[in-house]
Amino acid sequence: MKRSPLGLKLPEGMRDMLPEELARLEEMEAKALKTCRLWAYQKVATPGLEYRACVEPDAYKHDDLYKFFDKNGQILALRPEFTTPIARMVVSRLKKPLLPLRYCYSGDVYRNNEARYREFRQVGVELVGSGSEVADAEVIALAVEIMKSLDIPNFQINLGHNGIFSGLAEELNIKDHLRLELEDGISRKDMVRLEGVISQSPLPPTVKELLLAMPHLTGGDEVLNKLKEWTRLQAIQKAVESLQNIFQHLEDFGVKDYVALDLGILRGFSYYTGAIFEGYLPGVGIPVIEGGRYDNLYADFGVNSPATGFAVNLGVIQEQQAEFRVEKAEILVYGDSQREVIKYCRKLRQEGKLVEMVLEPLSDQEVASLAQSKGIDQLIKV
Amino acid sequence: MPKNFLTIALPKGKLLTDSVQLLTQAGIDCQGVEEDSRRLLFDLPPNQARIIICRPTDIPTYVEHGAADIGFVGKDTIIEQNCDVAELLDLKFGYCRFVVAMPEENLPPILPNGEYDLNYINHKRVATKFPRVAQMFFSSKGMQVTPVKLHGNIELAPRVGLAETIVDIVSTGRTLRENNLKEVAQILEATTRMIANRVSYRIKYERIQELADKCRELLQEN
Repeated sequence: MKRSPLGLKLPEGMRDMLPEELARLEEMEAKALKTCRLWAYQKVATPGLEYRACVEPDAYKHDDLYKFFDKNGQILALRPEFTTPIARMVVSRLKKPLLPLRYCYSGDVYRNNEARYREFRQVGVELVGSGSEVADAEVIALAVEIMKSLDIPNFQINLGHNGIFSGLAEELNIKDHLRLELEDGISRKDMVRLEGVISQSPLPPTVKELLLAMPHLTGGDEVLNKLKEWTRLQAIQKAVESLQNIFQHLEDFGVKDYVALDLGILRGFSYYTGAIFEGYLPGVGIPVIEGGRYDNLYADFGVNSPATGFAVNLGVIQEQQAEFRVEKAEILVYGDSQREVIKYCRKLRQEGKLVEMVLEPLSDQEVASLAQSKGIDQLIKV
Repeated sequence: MPKNFLTIALPKGKLLTDSVQLLTQAGIDCQGVEEDSRRLLFDLPPNQARIIICRPTDIPTYVEHGAADIGFVGKDTIIEQNCDVAELLDLKFGYCRFVVAMPEENLPPILPNGEYDLNYINHKRVATKFPRVAQMFFSSKGMQVTPVKLHGNIELAPRVGLAETIVDIVSTGRTLRENNLKEVAQILEATTRMIANRVSYRIKYERIQELADKCRELLQEN
């Protein structure tokens, strides 16, 4: 053996895919992309490697990037997601984009964290250039249709709003220290800490009550009415109206039954600015879909443009699916003359058959047992 | 499995009794759930629930992956494991403190404000089950230490020269005293928490929240 023992291993979080494993993933991918196509989303691709400055502009934040240096000493990173690279591409390549843009993508993303798989396939869409609620509803409806096309029962989409906390913080002029504490509590989903921070804060009682109640506001339209009566604060009113409109559109798209309102989706102060949503499967501990509105991302690249989208984590969904059958050859061709065998195989392939040829000189009996072990039904001797 | 079926992870050891008692009071009939039986999985059909018993340090992992919907575990473990789970409720029991302790014969000098001068510990070795907590504490003070990860009986390390200092959890302080160790700083206080998987907490919200609310009421009564 010429390689060191390490050469036989895989880095943590990486995996190979044998035909049956890959077939399942690609079948799902094809179905999802077909649905995107019906909704007129065009497929784009961005490179696996980007400058770190593109995918993680905040140099001081902890990140999960796989990083490298290029020959000039610049830091490169494997893409951890597609939304930001696509924003970079749109801004740098399309000088006069025909808005709204509807793009979809499929590819592997890389995150250097403790997760089981640090490389996994994502399929997703970006709807760029519309800030309307019907755009929010369109991508949510598309997410539902993709899950339906994958034949996944029992999935559920929860719809929340990321503008409430940040809107409140702005409107009430919540100061740095408190804001940081709240952000930290929210992003860690640490309700015990949040409760302590909120109840000891100098915020008005109705706001305290509201903040404490937020994680528990889940259900249907009634939640929104309740929330609207609660306070006249503009941040809340705006979010509620927007969610109400989106809900109405979802009904028209025929997907309302799959979507629950949920103001307890806590995603920290990430790039999401408005309606956010997550897709869940029972028994899968992480969301299988993450999406929402991110109206500030394009501004980071110097162009103001509202945008919304989502990504489906096909990697985890694949594991929930039953074993998939790989396509086998239909016909096994053999014979004494390799020339004739090749000629005959070409003819069959032109007819659209899946054909495999025997490479070694084998007896009829050996070929028969080979066909049997490979599960090939038809044998042809030329 | 019915949609609202709940898998609850409880820690082996001294927190188990309190956990089982609280769950029973909250209406989950835990008859037969005890550590001595050596069983690790208890199906509770009338409750639409099951209980798994595992090592305290593993509970955040079970919950993060969704193998358990909720779990009872010390805040100390949550911080050390740094898992992505939702923390729902402070259950108040299982109180303990993270402390820095050193051998009595080798204590740091005392500062004018009466506290120990922790800079004395700079560049020393710190034996601990909780390297993350130790590292976080010392770096927040601008200090550099070398954590030595052990899995138990931390108090032994300074006596045999494996480390100069320890970071450990104490509840009564007896172990420290018996080993001639003295607390030189407190890092943080911890109690048991109810944690939930982030997806379970959304799709089984009503069931989980009902249980959390009931526990909260019971705790307020006591």
